[in-house]
Amino acid sequence: MNRLAILRGMPVDLWVGGGLVVAVILAAAVGPWLWPVDPLHGALAASMKAPGSVIAGQWYPLGTDQLGRDLLARLLSGLRLSLVIVLIAGFVSVTLGTLLGLIAGYFRGFVDTVIMRAVDIQLSIPFILLILLVVAVIGPSVFNQIAVLGVTGWAIFARVARARTLEVRELEYVAAARTLGLPTRSILLRHVLPNILTPQIVLLTLDLPRLVVLEASIGFLGLGVQPPTPSLGNLIGEGRSLMLVADWLVLWPGVAIAILVVGFNFLGDGLIRRTEVRVA
Amino acid sequence: MRLAAFLAHRLALALVVLVGVSLVVFLCLFLTGDPAALMLPPDATRDEIQRFRAAMGFDDPWVVQYLRWIGRIVLDGDFGTSLRFGRPVGELIRERLPATALLAVVALAWSTAVGFVLGTIAAVRRGGFVDFLVRAIALSGQAIPVFWLGLLLILFVSLRLRWLPTGGYGEARHLVLPAIALGAYYMSAVTRLVRASLIEALDQDYVRTARAKGLSEWRVVVRHALRNALIPVVTVQAMYFASLLGGALVTEIVFAWPGIGRLAVQAIQNRDFPLAQSIVLLAAAVFVVTNLLVDILYVVLNPRIRL
Repeated sequence: MNRLAILRGMPVDLWVGGGLVVAVILAAAVGPWLWPVDPLHGALAASMKAPGSVIAGQWYPLGTDQLGRDLLARLLSGLRLSLVIVLIAGFVSVTLGTLLGLIAGYFRGFVDTVIMRAVDIQLSIPFILLILLVVAVIGPSVFNQIAVLGVTGWAIFARVARARTLEVRELEYVAAARTLGLPTRSILLRHVLPNILTPQIVLLTLDLPRLVVLEASIGFLGLGVQPPTPSLGNLIGEGRSLMLVADWLVLWPGVAIAILVVGFNFLGDGLIRRTEVRVA
Repeated sequence: MRLAAFLAHRLALALVVLVGVSLVVFLCLFLTGDPAALMLPPDATRDEIQRFRAAMGFDDPWVVQYLRWIGRIVLDGDFGTSLRFGRPVGELIRERLPATALLAVVALAWSTAVGFVLGTIAAVRRGGFVDFLVRAIALSGQAIPVFWLGLLLILFVSLRLRWLPTGGYGEARHLVLPAIALGAYYMSAVTRLVRASLIEALDQDYVRTARAKGLSEWRVVVRHALRNALIPVVTVQAMYFASLLGGALVTEIVFAWPGIGRLAVQAIQNRDFPLAQSIVLLAAAVFVVTNLLVDILYVVLNPRIRL
């Protein structure tokens, strides 16, 4: 009880969450460089070896797949690609959503109605189905995936940005900026935007787990990153049929996803508690 | 009177949303290129394609095509014909719907029930070991993707222990693992939500009054605080319903469950767009209607909301 009380006083969630996120991002960024094994080619003599096997002088800490490719190398490179997709997509959603929310909240009236109805529409389409449909239509390239995930994620950011803008636009300094005759664009971007940015960043931290799982699901269904290029999802999808004889192919990529999701969730929850951002 | 106005407003909104969704879905199909090329055999002559296009109305402007498509759905309940199965889309969906509904309802039911119990225990024992444990469970439930949990269940419960089948449909034993996999996320979400809103409710004055009256703690929690904690849970539950559809899609693939989700993924993988399009539209309609019902329920449930 006493120990728990001490823990409660410290920003444990921020440390744990931040630590996990930094660790995973570091692994994705420098991992393929620290573990310079080719993720795309393997030795057939080393196929389906359990984690920790040593074959012909080569150590396979996470084992190999049916083609003798090193799972650690594939995991690191898949993690890198999935993270790049998710982070860029998140950035696109937050940018789009914030700008649209800013415009809706600042100008009100007809523009507001149109944008908020679009938010309603966006939020009522089952994301994964729509994304699968669009990816199937335009093709499963990495760029298309980023575009689709980014463009379909803006709605929640627009809703929160609009709510904040409605408050901020009534503040005196904004009225002062208007009185000074500043152009609307500079009022919006230089004066209102900085004031609504914090909740958006916090919200992004909480939205990233959703994107991680979504990207992995698309990959798992075989509609995302195409093999032989690894991603977190398609590694699990490919390992699925070999699960009975080589369960490590399914276990490790899943562990990586879980660590990412827990990390971002802790970080987001911790940030929310400390910034008093309300996400409704 | 105010209630009527509120209902009319919400109904109109739901309609706008549905039209918007149908437009997006229609344009998706429209952008895939020439449907005639998909529907006719590859050795069709240019003349045959021309005649086919004219007969099917593919030469008309997209607005006309959209209105015709939506008109058939609304007026005749005609969703078109599946390219892959060569059968009416409506028929295919009706066949698969009961399986998905069964899975979704069972998953939602157990996750809500367990989430309520765990959330209540955690809130009452706030700060203690039990609370810590429940929060850890809830956290892991939200961190694990549905498809991975499904695969883990298959790996350990079916393949290693041989307790339950890896997939299939028909008997209760087939339902257990998919329902666990699909419900885990919602169980965690409900737990967290019930815990948070119950903790808030327990700090309110009326709860202190109830305690001061000498009511037992159990009565205070269940009869007084939990009732108020219910409201946010109901709202969020509706929002989760949409992602439940998404989760069902992946769960059905993992467990070879013959529902709408698997049909949708197969349709997309086969580029069977009339089928895929109709399923997306239907799913959106289900979601919009659920939200509408919840909005109404919300007003009925919470006497503090005066319209």
